[in-house]
Amino acid sequence: MSTVMDTDTDTAVDGAAGGSVAITGREKRLLRHAMMPHMLCPGCGHGIVLDAMLSVLSERYENLDNVAFVAGIGCSSRIIGYIDACTLHTAHGRPLSFATGLKLARPDLTVVVITGDGDGLSIGGNHLIHAARRNVDLTCVLLNNEIYGMTGGQAAPTTVLGAYTSTTPLGNTQHPFDAAELAKAAGATFVARSQSYRPQVFGELFSQALDHVGFSFLEVMSDCTEYFGRINRFGEGADMLMGQARYEPSIDADLARIPTVEPVTIKQPVRPVLPIGVLHRSSRLTLEETLGIEGGRSSGVAGGKVDDAVQRMNG
Amino acid sequence: MTVKTIDQPGKLVEQAGDSKEANEPAVSQGNLVLAGVGGQGIIMASNIISLACLESGLDVKKSEVHGMSQRGGTVVSHVRFGHEVHSVMLEPKQAEWIIGLEWEEGLRFLEYLKPGGVAFMSTERRIPPTAFADRLGGKIDYALGAGVPRGVVPVDTYAVAGEAAAERPVIAQTVLLGALSVDMGLSQETWREAIAATVPPKAVQANLIAFENGRAWYERWKKTTGSKPGSSIKANDIQRPEGVSPGAFRAGGFNGPDVSVKDWRGGMPRIEVLRDWCKGCNICVIVCPERVLSLDRFDIVVASEPDRCTACGLCARLCPDMAIEIWVDTPAHAGTGGE
Repeated sequence: MSTVMDTDTDTAVDGAAGGSVAITGREKRLLRHAMMPHMLCPGCGHGIVLDAMLSVLSERYENLDNVAFVAGIGCSSRIIGYIDACTLHTAHGRPLSFATGLKLARPDLTVVVITGDGDGLSIGGNHLIHAARRNVDLTCVLLNNEIYGMTGGQAAPTTVLGAYTSTTPLGNTQHPFDAAELAKAAGATFVARSQSYRPQVFGELFSQALDHVGFSFLEVMSDCTEYFGRINRFGEGADMLMGQARYEPSIDADLARIPTVEPVTIKQPVRPVLPIGVLHRSSRLTLEETLGIEGGRSSGVAGGKVDDAVQRMNG
Repeated sequence: MTVKTIDQPGKLVEQAGDSKEANEPAVSQGNLVLAGVGGQGIIMASNIISLACLESGLDVKKSEVHGMSQRGGTVVSHVRFGHEVHSVMLEPKQAEWIIGLEWEEGLRFLEYLKPGGVAFMSTERRIPPTAFADRLGGKIDYALGAGVPRGVVPVDTYAVAGEAAAERPVIAQTVLLGALSVDMGLSQETWREAIAATVPPKAVQANLIAFENGRAWYERWKKTTGSKPGSSIKANDIQRPEGVSPGAFRAGGFNGPDVSVKDWRGGMPRIEVLRDWCKGCNICVIVCPERVLSLDRFDIVVASEPDRCTACGLCARLCPDMAIEIWVDTPAHAGTGGE
């Protein structure tokens, strides 16, 4: 599986590298080297998220044969093409539906869904709330760059008030979704938010989301430099990334303190200060458990009666 | 027939005082193709040409193909000028001039060149993202070694631009316009005004310098080669300004090593940069607290002050392209390296 990659990595690393370790802990054996460099624009936050994700996966897994990445359509969903795992590139907005089917058929797999704000909240908004409601045992990572990047910078349901996009040339007049609150209300049992500016925080939260049994929802605030940043004059990739440092007070030692949200006025596109860290954690029976499918992880919640009821119904 | 169609007498007087340029026969009609990849200023260059022609009292029509070009896609612009222009598009073998801002893109559109026409082509290479994989092994062979096709004037635009290139990375188009202006024969003042009106205000000075350098370079080139662009030119004949050796050009450019590795010196962090993966977004340069990194003139990151690195790892973790990695010694091996 990884023989080709090893040779590629060796040419890059050999020589003086003996006995030293990479500071990121990122192992490039998990990358599809034939696909690199990736197609993301210069300075795109999604690349940082992919990078941090690989660091976590390098720590946790020897290889990714039992990890499935499912994604829809969009810049964010495109990043699964660079991970050397079982990857499933599906219809626009429907990665969670495909992932639900995959998880029920193969409960032994670790299923991770990568989706974007357009893919997961507008076109696939229904699928998101129902996957959360069913509490399927999978991890959903939503990369929120507040715009439709791949199709030319149209306004997304997460675009902040007053922001300029190609479909809101006079400033956005519609309130954005709070994706994390939406998932929490819909029944997700693990809800967290991170930023591309803090890859280590993201890594920690991603690791916790993978550990959690049930529907884990992780929103990552990312940057679209070419469309969102350019049209709103947020500067280049580095400027946008450093702009995320405004979230500094929201970081707490336990990653769970929730700060106040600043009000945003129209005609002044300012990205809101959003809470970061673990926002919600609970335990419920997963869909596999209520269906009586064996081979998955146990949520540890008492609830055998549902299994019995299903069996009684089946006669 | 000439620029006398200008209905601003004042301009003609200025032009007459403009030394030898005024003596050259002006061209009253012509066709151009400008080709390159997104971000190189092709549309801007065609705007400058169009504006210069309009200012000279000529009719201009311009048509361009672009889209998805921010990701390295192809951009081509057709410009036709004359007393009256009807069609906006060119057919093959109709263009008097071709401006190629990227070597391969220029070659692709050579079929539009009229016999006897001149193609000003930058020797710069921008490999599209889809072809990046081949760069990993350094497999791409640059066609310069195989000679230069007939009619092509290869211009090492960055070297010709000189100081202006250090100031403004997107400068190649103005250098080529400078070379083109020698043949097109509109007054220099018209060109300069068109450039000043089109480029961003802060870039005007650098662009005018690049324009002058391109113009001077091509005039010198015509003298030394007998003004016959084409098949007789070999790669080694490409002229560079004094003080810029071909070797120096390669070392900082696309022919450099794929991986620049800092020598291992016991306990010091080692910075590894994958030049092929870097897209020049400048994030690492900004976030580095010690200002270790910088971008070279091809917008690729280099570790210019590697001794200052403290292995904080910010650049490596925040690089969207995974182009940077910092290697540090493990405790078990710490004593075996440098001491």
